[in-house]
Amino acid sequence: MTDESSNQVSGTATSDAGMDGRIARLLRFGTYLAVALIAIGVVLMLATGRSPLDVAPAFDPVRLVGDLVGLQPAGFLWLGLVVVLLTPAARVAVSAFGYARVGDRSMALIAGLVLLVILTGVLLGTPGLIGSIGA
Amino acid sequence: MDIALLMLVGGIGVGIFGSLLGLGGGLLIVPLLTFGFQLPLREAIGVSLVCVIVTSGASASVFLERRVANLRLGMTLELFTAIGALVGGMIAFLLDERVLAGLFSVLMTYVALTMLRRRSASTPDSAEESPELARDPASFTARLSGPGYQVRNLGLGMVGSIFAGVSSALLGIGGGLIKVPVLHFVMGVPLRVATATSNLVIGITASTSAWIYLLRGGIDPYAAGPTAIGVFVGASIGSRIAHRVDLNALRLLFTAVLLFTAFQMLRRAAGIQ
Repeated sequence: MTDESSNQVSGTATSDAGMDGRIARLLRFGTYLAVALIAIGVVLMLATGRSPLDVAPAFDPVRLVGDLVGLQPAGFLWLGLVVVLLTPAARVAVSAFGYARVGDRSMALIAGLVLLVILTGVLLGTPGLIGSIGA
Repeated sequence: MDIALLMLVGGIGVGIFGSLLGLGGGLLIVPLLTFGFQLPLREAIGVSLVCVIVTSGASASVFLERRVANLRLGMTLELFTAIGALVGGMIAFLLDERVLAGLFSVLMTYVALTMLRRRSASTPDSAEESPELARDPASFTARLSGPGYQVRNLGLGMVGSIFAGVSSALLGIGGGLIKVPVLHFVMGVPLRVATATSNLVIGITASTSAWIYLLRGGIDPYAAGPTAIGVFVGASIGSRIAHRVDLNALRLLFTAVLLFTAFQMLRRAAGIQ
């Protein structure tokens, strides 16, 4: 291996180490936040006598704030679930910025494409937006 | 209240079991919810996807901090697992639940037979014994490689990742059962790195299809809450007691549970149950 390529690999390793640490902290924060929100929802569920087999209100972002303020279990549970699903996407977004900042265009592009696939999933899942899968 | 506590305890059991055996909880959460609590299969799969994201998030952060997981390789493969999950997520809402039950039965039988064949001693990690460096350090594949190993067969890895993504979305599993062998045996990644990288990829794989499940009403928050908390707590306990447990006995018990559940799933697929 030449000196130049050796330096390149070493530089990549250093920037990767920094990014690994940042992403690890983000994953841990997202996971614990989600678990805390879901745990509050479960406690409220038990306190209000609701069963896991009861029919829960459907996911409605507009109602979310009202449910949280009103200490409704569904509000905390839905928010916790959304944080669960957003955490991996946030990890990819942070990686995309990190790779773009160090000029690693191919990895930044891959991270951007991953986000695009997730966004497609959200659009396909939203009833009435694209197609009608299972609707 | 009793049902919520039972679900919580069931989740803890599944979390401990899955963590001790190095499997995501998905393989066990779906039968727990369908047979234990009579949840519709598709809803159980949605809840299972949430649980595997939660448990993988916690362990992936540890793997990244210890620099065991390969972020670049994981990111590249998760583009393909996400595409597979997108396709699987769409198919899942078109398939009859009996077909899903049949597929689940096949998967469980496969895992049970793999467990039976597995030797008690761990297999030698041949990939770690070949610290061959890339010929061209600037090539894309070389930049995905790590210290002491060189990634090979990237194309096959991508195909395997798509398959893992489809399976994850259809059956509510993390897909590690497919990703780890592909990374290790096909792509030449050391087993420890393969396991950690697969764990990292699970988050994106499962969340891509979980968005479809959530937005299409395939995730019930009341069922998901106690189960996810239980699995999270159980996985934490499992990782702490792993060194004190006789894994061979546990593996035999797990195989028996899998075969029994596979039979029940087959009955459901045949419309008997």
